[in-house]
Amino acid sequence: MILPARYVRWALPILLALLAVLAVAGLMSGDMPLSLARTWAGLRGDDPLAATIVWQIRMPRLIVGILVGAALSSAGLVMQAFFRNNLANPGLLGVSGGGAAGAVVTIAAGWASASLWFLPLGAIIGALAASAAVIVLARRGASTERLLLAGVALNALLGAVTSYVLTQYTGLYERNTQILFWLMGGVEDRTWEHVQIALPIVVAAAVLWPLGRPMDLLSLGVPEAQSLGVDTRRLRRHLLVLSTVLTALATAVAGAVGFVGLIVPHILRLLVGPEHRRLVPLTLVGGAAFVLGCDLLGRAAGGLRLGIVTSLIGGPFFLWLLRKLP
Amino acid sequence: MNALDLSGVAVTGRLQPVTLGLPRGSLIGLVGPNGAGKSTLLQVAAGVLPTSGKISWQGRELRSIPVLERARCAAWVPHGAQFEFGFSVRSVVSQGRFAHGDDEKGVDEALARLDLTRLADRSVNHLSDGERARVLLARALVTEAPLQLWDEPLAALDPRHGLEVLRLARSLTEAGSTVLFSLHDLRVAHGLDRVVVLRDRELRACGAPAEILTPELFLDVFAVRAHTAPGLTLELP
Repeated sequence: MILPARYVRWALPILLALLAVLAVAGLMSGDMPLSLARTWAGLRGDDPLAATIVWQIRMPRLIVGILVGAALSSAGLVMQAFFRNNLANPGLLGVSGGGAAGAVVTIAAGWASASLWFLPLGAIIGALAASAAVIVLARRGASTERLLLAGVALNALLGAVTSYVLTQYTGLYERNTQILFWLMGGVEDRTWEHVQIALPIVVAAAVLWPLGRPMDLLSLGVPEAQSLGVDTRRLRRHLLVLSTVLTALATAVAGAVGFVGLIVPHILRLLVGPEHRRLVPLTLVGGAAFVLGCDLLGRAAGGLRLGIVTSLIGGPFFLWLLRKLP
Repeated sequence: MNALDLSGVAVTGRLQPVTLGLPRGSLIGLVGPNGAGKSTLLQVAAGVLPTSGKISWQGRELRSIPVLERARCAAWVPHGAQFEFGFSVRSVVSQGRFAHGDDEKGVDEALARLDLTRLADRSVNHLSDGERARVLLARALVTEAPLQLWDEPLAALDPRHGLEVLRLARSLTEAGSTVLFSLHDLRVAHGLDRVVVLRDRELRACGAPAEILTPELFLDVFAVRAHTAPGLTLELP
């Protein structure tokens, strides 16, 4: 780790402060920039126009961004411990793709408009199916090669499903724009309904919170973890469900946003070391800050979507990581 | 009461049915040529490999012991463990306290006993094989488990640390624990309380070394001829 041991305990407060700054910046910036004073007035409801902008447009987007960032980065952390491979993450393994495909099918079939909950449900089913496929493929060991190839195959398959759905519904303009949204990933135009859909992420994060230590042991491999007192079957099941639900909920409200689960845990591990007890809270907060930062960056760059920004950062980062592999 | 009882324990393709009992407080060597099934037997005894047959620790059937409690009853030291993430030495050693509510009890002492104090903050991935083997032994030590199962703990150690680990094992057995470990040095095995001999995935013999480590057995199991002759002897100062 880069950070000297005595500074490690400052990592969480610093990240929280960063998150707070980014959150305020997120509320201030947009098509109609607000001053800090006006944002505050809007938050308090003293300025009706600012209040509408802050509470109806920017706050839901902000909260969705925080939840999506926390969910995707912690899902990445969980997958890395689960597969004992620090390149594992929801995007690479096709779990995000599964969620997106599930969401797209739900929209195309017209179910998404029937109930608010069908869309996340579709995403969860898609993500679970993709997770199951990865588990089966990785049963004989989760080497980087196997995981990468499994991800390539799954992503291709899921891409085909989504493209097929798209070509079948070319006539339905509205549905297609909705579908495109999920393919590219973003947090614009999110409403309080989306916040509601994503809210269970908080519960999943709370369940994940105390699992840091067992995750350390699981990363040693199942036999060693077992001999040290971890109920590996139960823990693996919990982690699998958690990472899938986290990814699926994030995908259901923001589409397929790639690389968050790869970049954030990686950087934090470099900074504070590999202990999951420490990494779990840090990835939750760090992931949220990363997504808010990317969203702000995209807005500053003239409306680049979140998924595009994270991919622009994540792609080169991933290549850099691959270069270091033996 | 025996510390470890195996009854008809077998693993398909890796171990023929084994039945044996190991008394408490003894220091036991597990010997046999490469591929004889030593690691498999240790994994089975540690309860980390699914098996047919019955395993009991201190007279309690393994199946009836909850997973968390098992970690307080028996410690297993794998041979050549791999770490995907570079935990610090101290962090790995304290993993042995997981089943005790993650207190740090005994961690400093274990680090000192295995001569790891100055490496405590080093990443386990930046250690030599021998140093890493000592880290795993330290972790087994802090579990305070009365049954210690070590897979080739001496293989990568230099002479001094090898002798220290043997002395540590002896002090554990004197305190009532039982240590079963695999090794290749038959001269060391000769000085232990008991030896278990495996050949071709089968139990070949089990008993006091003076009785079973005969020239015939050496020739039969290891295909070597044994002589007793004065030679170089090493001991701790």
